[in-house]
Amino acid sequence: MKSIKGIFRGNTGLKLKKGNSMNNTSFKENMTGYMFLLPSLIVLGLFLFIPAIMSLYYSLTDYYMLTPNLTKFIGLDNFKSLLSDVQFRKSIVNVFQFVIFIMPIQVGTALGLALLVNKSRRGTLFYKVAYFSPVVMSLVVVSVLWLYLLNPSSGLLNEVLQTFGIPAQPFLSSPNQAMYVIIFVSAWQGAGYQMLIFLAGLQNIPEEVYEASTIDGANKWQQLINITLPMLKPTSLLILTTTLIDAFKLVIQPMVMTQGGPLNSTLTPVYYIFRTGFTDRQIGFASALTVMYGGMIIIFTIIQRKFVGEDTND
Amino acid sequence: MTNKTTTILYHFLSILLAILFIFPLVWMVVSSTKQEAAIYSDMGSFEAFLPSMKISDWLIPYKEIFSRFNIIRYLANSIFYAASVTIGSIIVNSLAGYAFATVKFKGKKILFAVMIASLVIPGETIMITKFVVTEKLGILNTPLAVILPMVATPLYIYMFTIFFRAISTELQEAAMLEGASKLKIYWKIMLPMSKPAIATVGTLSFIMSWNDYIWPLMVMTKSEMYPLQVAITNINNTQPVYMNQVMAILTISTIPLILIYVFFQKHLVQGLSSSGTGVK
Repeated sequence: MKSIKGIFRGNTGLKLKKGNSMNNTSFKENMTGYMFLLPSLIVLGLFLFIPAIMSLYYSLTDYYMLTPNLTKFIGLDNFKSLLSDVQFRKSIVNVFQFVIFIMPIQVGTALGLALLVNKSRRGTLFYKVAYFSPVVMSLVVVSVLWLYLLNPSSGLLNEVLQTFGIPAQPFLSSPNQAMYVIIFVSAWQGAGYQMLIFLAGLQNIPEEVYEASTIDGANKWQQLINITLPMLKPTSLLILTTTLIDAFKLVIQPMVMTQGGPLNSTLTPVYYIFRTGFTDRQIGFASALTVMYGGMIIIFTIIQRKFVGEDTND
Repeated sequence: MTNKTTTILYHFLSILLAILFIFPLVWMVVSSTKQEAAIYSDMGSFEAFLPSMKISDWLIPYKEIFSRFNIIRYLANSIFYAASVTIGSIIVNSLAGYAFATVKFKGKKILFAVMIASLVIPGETIMITKFVVTEKLGILNTPLAVILPMVATPLYIYMFTIFFRAISTELQEAAMLEGASKLKIYWKIMLPMSKPAIATVGTLSFIMSWNDYIWPLMVMTKSEMYPLQVAITNINNTQPVYMNQVMAILTISTIPLILIYVFFQKHLVQGLSSSGTGVK
């Protein structure tokens, strides 16, 4: 075998000169690899790995940005005060409220829309464009726009409600309604994009399966339950996982629409990190928040990857 | 139920949903063409969704907001940041993907594993220490502060790696026999062959940069450096606030994205479904 390999190497003289063998990677090839990776390693190092490690370190200090020289190592004190921090608790409760509602509403809507426009009939293209239209607006645009539509005294929505005889609602100025409004606006904005992904999944289901089941006497409803939904499972899992992780990072909508209020009813953990770390410059405390909440998201992500990974391997 | 009634029901439901989804966008655009008072007086009627009757009036709110704020500057900033991020992201991520897919070097497996593992780090949560690093680098209030952090993304490196691995090695080997360097093969063979991956990563990068809000808000304190998204909330908080002018700036910010989605929609879906199912 060795001699055959040797002959093979001899034939490809050029490769041999470059030292390009299977077993020994040459200095030059090593350097080539590192050179290609260098730009991304520098950027990821500076803006991902170093900040992540710094957060771990600063979370154990009382680093205040305006007096960096007075920084002391304080052990787990930040975490202790976090556990009894009312705003942090509130933000966790809020984000779970958001996650629990947005998951079924947004993903369910997206699936429903996809099923509606899947078979092309007259008008499907128009419907698709309409359902997708909120996606083309950035979260800032969407938030500012709805701020005007939902204005309690002069907004379009209350005008419409009143023409139907429903009393005007406070919407974002009510601690009881604000989070539900944000859930609605977020689902409204995101459903169209997921509709497209569901559509791609629907188009992967072979037409013959439906034809065969029609011959067997299945009706449309039975086809939906027994064929469409089971065959959409990989797509659904993908959408559910991405939605879940994104939902935990909710920040722009409350920041622009409510500034976390009223009465902290829309304060989220990422927004709280921004406030303590950036507005108040309490880097130490904000880092503890980062470690605690970031760690929680990482654990969720890993669990989900395992779950989805196993499922798509079936 | 007869076929005809189901068809009618189908269209009734679809149109109702279509109205729910599209009315804010329509209202935004038509309100940007009206006088402030007309927006309020039309609110209770169907005219709320019709533009100003006088076409010559349509651009008045735009003229007013352009004279009050340096919109051209914000627009130019956003275009410059997004274009730089797009080009940078395509080059930096594809270079790394190329190394992982075709070059043999020590530590490749470990580096790739670290890259995959880093996919789980939620970027938004580390913004505070990211800000500390950016400040120490001395690039606050420079374009680099918003461009640089966005040009390398583990997910896109992974996407390029998978894409390059799938390209047949024959062509590369032939080129190598003729003495072409790895860099030349990357530039002359691999990049031209990876147009779908480039389109996906480029489109996603552009949209992400265009829509980015919190990071530019943190690192850009001088108003002449603001991208549009930051300028929007700034304008919306600067008295006096005119609804028609705010709707005008929202419309201006949305038009480029409409164009991107119209021309690159296909690549977006491909990108997301392929990236999502691939990563475990």
